[in-house]
Amino acid sequence: MKFSATKEKILEGLQQVQNVVSTRTTLPILSNVLLQAKEGTVNLTTTDLDVGVRGGFEANVDKAGATTLPARRLFTIIRELPSSEISVEVDGKNAASIRSGQSFFKILGLPEEEFPPLPKFENAKVVTMRQKDLRDGLRKTAYAISTDETRYVLNGVLFSYKENKLTLVATDGRRLAMVDLELEFPRSHEADIIVPTKAVTELARLLTDDGDVKISVGTGQIAFDLNSTLLVSKLIEGNYPNYKQVIPSEAKERITLERETFLNSLRRVSLLASDKSNSIKLSFSKNNIEITANTPEVGEARESLPVVYKGRDFSIAFNPEFLMAPLRNLADDEIFFDLIDEMSPGVLKIQTPFLYVLMPMRVSA
Amino acid sequence: MPLSSASRAIIHLDMDCFYAAIEVRDRPSLRGKPVGVGGARDRRGVLTTCNYEARAFGIRSAMPTFMALQRCPNLIVLPTRFDVYRKEAGIVREIMHRFTSLVETLSLDEAYLDVTANMRPPGPLAREVRDTIFKETKLTASAGVGPNKLVAKIASEINKPNGQYEVKPEKVSEFMHPLLVRKLWGIGAVTEEKLARAGITTCGEMQRLSRPELHELFGKFGSELYDLCRGIDDRVVEPNRERKSLSTEETFSSDLTTLEQCDEKVTELFEELAAELAQKEPTRRITKIFLKLKFSDFTRTTIERAGLGPNLGNYHLLLEEAFSRTGKKIRLIGIGVRFAEIEQEVAQLSLL
Repeated sequence: MKFSATKEKILEGLQQVQNVVSTRTTLPILSNVLLQAKEGTVNLTTTDLDVGVRGGFEANVDKAGATTLPARRLFTIIRELPSSEISVEVDGKNAASIRSGQSFFKILGLPEEEFPPLPKFENAKVVTMRQKDLRDGLRKTAYAISTDETRYVLNGVLFSYKENKLTLVATDGRRLAMVDLELEFPRSHEADIIVPTKAVTELARLLTDDGDVKISVGTGQIAFDLNSTLLVSKLIEGNYPNYKQVIPSEAKERITLERETFLNSLRRVSLLASDKSNSIKLSFSKNNIEITANTPEVGEARESLPVVYKGRDFSIAFNPEFLMAPLRNLADDEIFFDLIDEMSPGVLKIQTPFLYVLMPMRVSA
Repeated sequence: MPLSSASRAIIHLDMDCFYAAIEVRDRPSLRGKPVGVGGARDRRGVLTTCNYEARAFGIRSAMPTFMALQRCPNLIVLPTRFDVYRKEAGIVREIMHRFTSLVETLSLDEAYLDVTANMRPPGPLAREVRDTIFKETKLTASAGVGPNKLVAKIASEINKPNGQYEVKPEKVSEFMHPLLVRKLWGIGAVTEEKLARAGITTCGEMQRLSRPELHELFGKFGSELYDLCRGIDDRVVEPNRERKSLSTEETFSSDLTTLEQCDEKVTELFEELAAELAQKEPTRRITKIFLKLKFSDFTRTTIERAGLGPNLGNYHLLLEEAFSRTGKKIRLIGIGVRFAEIEQEVAQLSLL
């Protein structure tokens, strides 16, 4: 195998795939990236057996062929090379010679045959949607994924295909983010699947504002085809909890807030939320919210926010991080905050189909 | 100030193969058949518990499921239903509290009751606790009655299942005499062997050694052994004890020298830890995992990581790091988890 390409192109290609590589593994081949050169492109593939990514870059291919090379090492070498023109030549023993300007590197790879193939998708259920829509949807939900490995069904985003809607849901049991995306698909494609965190993170990085993504759901696995890149992942087995039951059906009070103003106030006041209890209190009175936090023996913070509010006076406490996360990830200027009472979940909404349900914290006397 | 052991009455209550018993109760067709509860074979699961029919085949808890199935191909392996077990444990706990407020639960299926303040004699009281549990849950329990935790715990094994045994304060010394030393806390294979070389296999034989002699042999622990082998134990029954961490460790009869050997041991320890976690603290939130190495020169190193989940891969990571810190031979490996404070968990209300 022999090819030459610009440093920029190679780096771009490697950046797309290298996050998937497992750093530590009993299988050395999984630390490698598979390179397949033919007809003007070099395809790159990485996998950790749960998630796999295939991308590539344009190149002058002098001799077609394939090999695998240690991904991180290859990336750091390419990044440091002095000249923008790089040539790579691999001999029959998978030793790669890399030349650029006055530099020469030789790194040892492993045979292509040892690299586990990405899964095949036969009889998969395929839907196509705009990359931008999926990207926005994931951005609005993925921060609520649980990191608690003992509740593994929550370690991912639920993709629920029902009645020409794709509903994305993420929750850690204390808050839940959900978004509905309009999407046309046949009745037979209806399904609930859980895409694991790692695949969601990689996908969010790969998705762009242009073009479509083709989503194929097979048995226990899913593929996202973004034209130039492909991401495949195993699905999390198990039943996602019945998230609908936690969404309050009514609201006693609705408060309209400017997202950025609210976020900035929360951010300031939360500086004095104690590490231990980590709570921030919102006290509602006529046309005003007072946001307060305090840490015993450290100090306290208080900020008032004028709002339109005519309901009863009451206070409710939240984990400030949980309250700020959706505000950071939304783009809307205006948000609605629906509340019932101090012990019931609060719901953040926007003009489009999105909601964020957050359980309050018990206010200590 | 703990009351002196002679004046106390402690019951150790142990539900008989709790999880398996619940499954058999709920599915009468399983009665009389070997039943285990735990992870499936194809997921490298281990059994959390099994009934007496299964134990007859040499199956025990924490045994890998595939191994259990080798010993008893007819073993019925059921997945755990912790929500059900927790509910039953809640009923049992409520029953125990009718008899004393001093209840220290060790796990879902095991507890100490301090019934000193109850005017009735502890033996009949233990029977009534067990009868009430059976009446209300159709599950059997075994009990040990004694003047302290140590004696009560050892006694509860004697007439298991569905039985009890009482050791009166004046009979403690006699009771301890024939017991094998490994019944005492903190005595593992290595200590047992060391004692055997000194001609000591029973508590009675150990009683012949003086406190200084035991101290000479085992250091500070030797002094504890002096009391333990006599059935002396002053620890109080602490209600609602909150476990801060859970760990499992093994001291090796010969030191380990390579990472591969250690890797293998960590894999074994992990299965044990996973089973213990599932049994003792199935609901607690884990904040940190840790790994401890003790070297042949008795120095030690511990690595603790916040944010990493308790899975085998992560323990292997910690091992690699700890192993590379020194080139010394390894005498002991321990792995464990630390829990979030319960107080913090309740402050944030849950949705799901």
